Amino acid sequence: MFKLLHASFEGTKAAFASIRAHALRSALTTLGIIIGVAAVITVVAIMQGLSHSITSQLDDLGSDMVTLRAYTPTNQQMLGQFNRLHHDDFLTLKSRVSQVEDMTATMQAFSMGSQVHYGRNSAQTQIIGTDSSYQNVVRVYPELGRFLSSSDDDRRRRVAFIGSSLIQKLDLPDNPVGEFINLSGDWFRIIGVAESRGSLFGFDQDNYIIAPFSTIRALNGERAARNIDILFRPAAGANPEQVQQQMRSILRQRHKLAPDDPDPFEFISAERMIDQFNSITRSITLVAGGVVSISLLVGGIGVMNIMLVSVTERTREIGIVKALGATPQFILLQFLVEALVLSLFGGIIGLALGAGIASFIGLMLPAMPEALVPLWAILLSIGFTTMIGVVFGLAPAIKASRLNPIDALRYE
Amino acid sequence: MARNVIRLHQVNKSYLMADEMFYALRNIDLCIAENDYVAIIGPSGSGKSTLMNVLGCLDTPTSGQYQLGEHDVATLNETELAELRNEAVGFIFQSFNLLPRATVLANVMQPLVYRLMPNKTRQAMALEALQRVGLADKTGHLPNQLSGGQRQRVAIARALVTRPRILLGDEPTGNLDSKTTKDIMALFDQLHQEGHTIILVTHEQDIAEHCQRVIRLVDGQVAEDIRNNQGAQLHV
Ligand SMILES: Nc1ncnc2c1ncn2[C@@H]1O[C@H](COP(=O)(O)OP(=O)(O)OP(=O)(O)O)[C@@H](O)[C@H]1O
Ligand SMILES: [Mg+2]
Repeated sequence: MFKLLHASFEGTKAAFASIRAHALRSALTTLGIIIGVAAVITVVAIMQGLSHSITSQLDDLGSDMVTLRAYTPTNQQMLGQFNRLHHDDFLTLKSRVSQVEDMTATMQAFSMGSQVHYGRNSAQTQIIGTDSSYQNVVRVYPELGRFLSSSDDDRRRRVAFIGSSLIQKLDLPDNPVGEFINLSGDWFRIIGVAESRGSLFGFDQDNYIIAPFSTIRALNGERAARNIDILFRPAAGANPEQVQQQMRSILRQRHKLAPDDPDPFEFISAERMIDQFNSITRSITLVAGGVVSISLLVGGIGVMNIMLVSVTERTREIGIVKALGATPQFILLQFLVEALVLSLFGGIIGLALGAGIASFIGLMLPAMPEALVPLWAILLSIGFTTMIGVVFGLAPAIKASRLNPIDALRYE
Repeated sequence: MARNVIRLHQVNKSYLMADEMFYALRNIDLCIAENDYVAIIGPSGSGKSTLMNVLGCLDTPTSGQYQLGEHDVATLNETELAELRNEAVGFIFQSFNLLPRATVLANVMQPLVYRLMPNKTRQAMALEALQRVGLADKTGHLPNQLSGGQRQRVAIARALVTRPRILLGDEPTGNLDSKTTKDIMALFDQLHQEGHTIILVTHEQDIAEHCQRVIRLVDGQVAEDIRNNQGAQLHV
């Protein structure tokens, strides 16, 4: 045991001396491993950064908000038939489902296009019709002015609550409350401006106009197909699954569906979006990991190759130290440590390089959130490169340790 | 009569060459006493180096018995052989065999690396050995910065550093001029005086005459084994 410790220590010293003697070659040898590890770390760091930022943004939205919307299977879409949810569906759910904290309906103002004008300026935006409950469900709060009230909806007022980025896009006054904007010929008075939500993936989340549901419905026209989305939050303490189940059966009844008909609607929760997103990032990470393990394997073979060359090149030296009393174990350890140090060295450089590249990408692309290198990726790449060093260093080390001293000394 | 430190009994070393056994050593019976000063001579290809390699545990005989000190060499495994090489003998080669990338001091310290001791002790022992061969001022040099004679003295210091009882030299002066050869031989004389057992392979008549015992090999066999009464004593 003591002997092994001593041999490890002296073997490590000898290994470092030999790596230092061939600094350039050692660096080139580890290039494969450096690139491999750098690639893994870059991909993992970017995916983790994305995943982290999305999860936290979706959490901000409130992971308990659920969107209920019409769903049409692809084969039916190709026939030009689209399932819809109606305002009556919303009213029925609102009166019959009790375990809901708040519920609102939204309707896209598709008849009006998406152009908004103010003076000579115009901008593309998203126009949504909804009621006063929207504020509580989506948790959007006024920075200036106020949100829609129920009387706005009752009286079908032409008022608009706008996202903050429209102030700049339309060159509105700093406090635009009371100003009039034009939506395809109809004038709307601004009653409030929302707090900024920032951007997600580079998508501006503050470019929208919210108007009373009844106003938008009227403008859309009676003949226009009136599809709505229903947003709600299950009551605190209620089981979200149960609430969805209850809504499901009410809607199926209303739509007179046969038991084996598929649901013409779907529930989308932030939680489910996070799950879906995480499963996407997981599979990307896995695929990248697989590709990269192949490159690490190639890197490992590179290390083995150089170690074999190095053993052959140093045959005479090995013969000399064997003549001086180096035991086979000692030589085995020395070459093993050398391979290990080489690949570990590559792993650490690759780690630093990968983290550098990932944060560089994060800085260069404004839409990209900050890169994150998780601890497991660090441990995994260090562990993996250690393993590569041992596995691919073993064959050359055994070869060196088994050399016969007299043959090695005669080697030219 | 001093006790024998080396005993060979019916030692053979054979190689299979083109379907035929070639005997580099043939039925060697040989005893060498402690503090003897032996020259091994013989024509080229007679098996001198082969014998030295067997004596130095670098090579193993095909058959026969080799007793080195209290060890029966045939029964030892690779690790034990390595330890024996490290402790019992110091080997000096014709071509020096220094480690090219290591300094003089590191070369001399190398055999001590395989021993458990503080680095300081190793350095002190190596310096002492270098002083013995008169090279204490060259510790930081690389082998290729030294003359042939200096290199061989480094090799001798390396063989001495473990304080082995037996020194083996396979044509240690073969690559050196006559002046340097004299210096090296004076060093061997001194080491013999201090009690080392010395065995040298040589082609040179005056070196052989210098020793106390001359063994002549011919075709792998001991052809002549004479005690030289006007050996080293006269030259001291
Ligand atoms: N590995 C080997 N395979 C085959 N034959 C060998 C081997 N090693 C040595 N021999 C043969 O053994 C014989 C003795 O060789 P050795 O080196 O001992 O000679 P030597 O007496 O030292 O000669 P020299 O004075 O030229 O150094 C030679 O004929 C050589 O060809
Ligand atoms: Mg020879």
